[in-house]
Amino acid sequence: MSMINLLFFGRLGDLAQDVNHSITYDGQLRTPEQLVHQLEVAHSKLVAALREPQVLVSVNKIIVKWDHPLCDGDEIAFLPPVTGG
Amino acid sequence: MSINIHVQHEDFDLAAEYTELRSQTSKIGAVVTFTGLVRDFERLQDDPTSGRNLHRLTLQHYPGMTERLIAEIVDEAVQRWPAFGVTVIHRVGCLRPNEQIVFVGVTSEHRENAFKIAEFVMDYLKTKATFWKQVDLNGQQQWIQPKQSDTEAAAKWTEDSDE
Repeated sequence: MSMINLLFFGRLGDLAQDVNHSITYDGQLRTPEQLVHQLEVAHSKLVAALREPQVLVSVNKIIVKWDHPLCDGDEIAFLPPVTGG
Repeated sequence: MSINIHVQHEDFDLAAEYTELRSQTSKIGAVVTFTGLVRDFERLQDDPTSGRNLHRLTLQHYPGMTERLIAEIVDEAVQRWPAFGVTVIHRVGCLRPNEQIVFVGVTSEHRENAFKIAEFVMDYLKTKATFWKQVDLNGQQQWIQPKQSDTEAAAKWTEDSDE
């Protein structure tokens, strides 16, 4: 089964509660930016938050650019500004 | 060179960490430790002039990525300033005011390097490592926003990197 797993952290997690965190990889979905675009109609508040300039995206725990090519089995995480320490 | 990184729910024992750090080699001339505690007071984002009593704090992190990012921060620090050992402990989960939240301990030959490493690691821990704080202010849940002062503190290390 070809799947991509999505993770939303911090306040993005609150906004993504009704998003399916495991989506089928159909080969059409090529980048995190395309994934965000796909969520736009049903989850406009989440997408607005994802597009804030400080939000970073990682693929398999490595921070990447929004046009990074996706592969089957990838774990994509959306990371708002961090506040540890 | 001994590097220990722990992201954990459990509390830590400052004396035990200190003892472990200083036992690593007899060449150590300086031990610097920093411990961060949970404050009982947090300013609200939408009303920064008024503070609210903090009931509890919840720390979320990205398992696997957090540990790797902290390791990268420590690696960069010990490349800049020689050290014998670095221990970083960061707690996650539900924490209450006055609880210990973060520990950084550094051993080196002289104090300057240990101070620098501890400060560098803390500055980058706050701005690079994948932790997110949510506060409960008398029943109101709110995700903490990054502080400008933390961003500026981390930026200073790129300005005087040869110091």
